[in-house]
Amino acid sequence: MDDLIFIVAITLKSSPAVLLASLGELISERGGILNLGVEGMMLVGALAGFVTARQSASLALGLCGAMAAAGLLALLHAFLCVHLRADQVISGLAVTILGTGLSSFLGRPFIGQTGLHFSSIGGTWIDGLPLIGPLLAQQNLFGLLCLAAVPALMYLLGRTWLGLYIRAAGQDPAAADAAGVPVAAIRYGCTLFGGCMAGLAGAYLSLAYTPGWKEGMTGGQGWIAIAMVIFATWHPLRALLGALLFGLLNALQFYFQATGIELIPAYILHMLPYLLTVGVLVLVTVLEKPVLGSVPGALGKPFSREE
Amino acid sequence: MNRRTLLAITAILSILLAFPPAGRAQAKRIKVAFALLWTIDDQGWTTAAYNGIEYLKKQLGDQITVSYTEKVRAADAERVIRGYARKGYDIIFGTTFEHMDPMLMVARDFPKTVFEHCSGYKTAPNMGNYFARMYQGEFLSGYLAGLMGFKNVGTVATNPIPEPIRGINAFTIGLLKGLRESGRSYDAGHVNTVVWLKAWRDPINETTLAETLISRKHDLIRQMADTPDSSLAACAKGVPAIGYGADAAKYGAKCVLVSPVWNWGPYFVKVVRQVQQHTWKPEAYWGGFDHHDILLTAFNPSVPPAVRQKVLAQKALLEKGIDTIFAGPLYDQHGKLRVPAGSKASDKELLTMRWLVKGVRGSIPD
Repeated sequence: MDDLIFIVAITLKSSPAVLLASLGELISERGGILNLGVEGMMLVGALAGFVTARQSASLALGLCGAMAAAGLLALLHAFLCVHLRADQVISGLAVTILGTGLSSFLGRPFIGQTGLHFSSIGGTWIDGLPLIGPLLAQQNLFGLLCLAAVPALMYLLGRTWLGLYIRAAGQDPAAADAAGVPVAAIRYGCTLFGGCMAGLAGAYLSLAYTPGWKEGMTGGQGWIAIAMVIFATWHPLRALLGALLFGLLNALQFYFQATGIELIPAYILHMLPYLLTVGVLVLVTVLEKPVLGSVPGALGKPFSREE
Repeated sequence: MNRRTLLAITAILSILLAFPPAGRAQAKRIKVAFALLWTIDDQGWTTAAYNGIEYLKKQLGDQITVSYTEKVRAADAERVIRGYARKGYDIIFGTTFEHMDPMLMVARDFPKTVFEHCSGYKTAPNMGNYFARMYQGEFLSGYLAGLMGFKNVGTVATNPIPEPIRGINAFTIGLLKGLRESGRSYDAGHVNTVVWLKAWRDPINETTLAETLISRKHDLIRQMADTPDSSLAACAKGVPAIGYGADAAKYGAKCVLVSPVWNWGPYFVKVVRQVQQHTWKPEAYWGGFDHHDILLTAFNPSVPPAVRQKVLAQKALLEKGIDTIFAGPLYDQHGKLRVPAGSKASDKELLTMRWLVKGVRGSIPD
């Protein structure tokens, strides 16, 4: 029982960063912009979030700082891809490389510094709750609030005019444009949103999960997030599933190590998110009818009105 | 500018060129280069190497020129080392294992340059290697933990290769010795649980592994990674910790009881002096407390004076060169006798150690 609580608690705790980043990327891709810069934006967000919170002594400002810094990088990507109609893959990779380099360069004075962080909500009346008490006690407010983004985005995409515009811009920008959708503005907005979410994801790492700035601290979670968008076939609820799955694999790895029982080798656990993504990709391609949902029609294609 | 001033300047310049300053006639400055694994502020391995460089500069700064390159991984090592050799550096240090083979290749092409490699096993007529007996410091910190009655330690280990394995064994031997002397009851087959990070530095997984161990009720966390994050995680949860490599307390881990740390400075100075005096010869150097290649940091205020005294007494023995840490009888986890009574493990056995001593829980992954 203790073991189960432990696994679930770690699962919940290690999934929010991937969840936030993949939700952001999901909206960006739904709008037709593929952004491979998630890893770089997360790193910049992690650094900016930590530094802002530390200097301003406010966690809320820290989160704003993270969103602003990563958002700026996303705007760069949007400018290149929407305005200049550059290749989205190349621009995205450039953003990752830029973000990684920038964060390790600017972050040097902050390595090993301690600052503010979200503490776990345990030690209060929450501990006394039956069953979920010990589970919740290890979580923090930030991580739990992330979960609220899932229904919010489902509502946004499915039930609002803005969601319709986003889907239209990603599916068939020419038709959307003819219908009066401001495609360029929507795409800018989606990319910016993706950047802000990646920034928050980074801030989750530096302000909640493992407080403090460490060079390259995302450890590939940005790439996992991109894979998870495909795994989720561009649906927020399944993105949550993907993020929890990532958290579970992570938790299992720690559990196996701490107990000395290694039922599944750690290397396989490391690979699983990618293997599952490949599986889903195959499924999406093989199934003729989009059962799970499908790739946004104009994903990765630059849109130009004149054509 | 009129012709007269121009002439005057030309005259002064020619005099200066004709009679170079006296300094030029002195012995030439030794040029020393370091290839570093990571950044000099990595809070662990490279910070320790950099502290050594600072020490070297302080001791011989006026007689040498020092350069270093950060983040020299295996793929870049040959390019960086060859670059220094070409530029005429007299001695080049490769400060991590993965510099070994690239360095050997460059050493063949530059027979007049001196090469020093850390933690490897290959040498050449112009390439020596050096390392420090960190296990001595690990033994002492284990001994301290045992004397203080910690009997369910959780260790966040790095890569399952002989160096960390040796360290885990030394720590456990010290821990058992301390527990024996503390007079407390304990389970001799199970005092130190080991989990593997499978990396030298991975602060994210390191933190979670440490938290995992804490939530499984381990009473002390032992850091082995290059980053102090397992110690930091322990402090955040109110569990004491043992640091490693660099002073973890300096990086905010105030709960750390003690950290055994690398101290490369004296060795760097010794080698550079030898090169200056043309007495350098390649050797496989492996020093410990006896040559101050490792140190213990100041104890945490919570360490009782009696414990300090006992630990310092053991340290004094090591400083005299009396190292009986791996003296028999030593049994492995499965009860097999590995070092018989009356003998002690040889350096070769220590350098190739692939078994865990009795008292360790956890195994060596493939």
